[in-house]
Amino acid sequence: MGRYRRKKMHKGDKPLKEKYRTKRRTRDLDLIHDDMKVPSSLLKQQVDLDKPGAAQFYCLHCAKYFIDNKALTGHFRTKPHKRRLKALEVEPYSQAEANRAAGMGSYVAPKQVSVIPQEKMIVAGNEDTSMK
Amino acid sequence: MRVEKCFVCSAPIYPGHGMAFVRNDSRMFRFCRSKCHKFFQKKRNPRKAKWTKAFRKAAGKELRVDPALEFEKNRNEPVKYSKELWDNTVKAIKKIEEIRTRRQDHYIASRLKKGKEIRKLADTVEVEKSIHLIRPPAAALKQKKQMVEVVMERDVDSMDVN
Repeated sequence: MGRYRRKKMHKGDKPLKEKYRTKRRTRDLDLIHDDMKVPSSLLKQQVDLDKPGAAQFYCLHCAKYFIDNKALTGHFRTKPHKRRLKALEVEPYSQAEANRAAGMGSYVAPKQVSVIPQEKMIVAGNEDTSMK
Repeated sequence: MRVEKCFVCSAPIYPGHGMAFVRNDSRMFRFCRSKCHKFFQKKRNPRKAKWTKAFRKAAGKELRVDPALEFEKNRNEPVKYSKELWDNTVKAIKKIEEIRTRRQDHYIASRLKKGKEIRKLADTVEVEKSIHLIRPPAAALKQKKQMVEVVMERDVDSMDVN
């Protein structure tokens, strides 16, 4: 095993503590549900050279920036993205639900949320701009 | 003083216990112990962990719809102290708790009753299917043969008497 191979093999070998630091915290599902209500502000961001791809290729559901359109469309076909879409179909867990489970009120089943894939969402956005 | 509920497992959090995480959108999450905090950090869903109250309610393991569950609430209104009101409230809390536990126990008992029936049915089916292991089918034939012989002998005897 060469030096480069060894380095690649131990890429993720870090204590969980470091992985789950607040500093490295990614967007929570309930916040993504809020984002889904007003997708335009995130899908059409201003050029920000500090972000990957100048913040022009953003996956709304995974809350992730990509470097170009190819990387973004490739990401839509991946398992983690599809898994995320599936997870977003149910209403997010909340403190209210935790309280109800503790005996503060009766059980309310989580609602189903319709998740529009971003590919289709972009088309709809373009149509809107052309109409204007 | 307010007893909060854990975001993950719904356990009561008394003042001075557990920890709170304030997300950068100023939403607050309280955890009763490090187990629940780590669970949250890993972004896991409390609905899917079997040890949380949310799971038990979602899976129908516990009483989930009942008027007895509607009393406990966060009432954000200050109430002026009166001895009578205090006494009555404490009395009511005890009564409601008693009713709630009784209904909860009944719910769980009736839920478990179904499993008992299913197990009994499975047992009878198993006995019917594998009775040959303790009693070979040929045994019945043998027994029948013996019975026939006995009857025939008796008939012969009775004929002799006549």
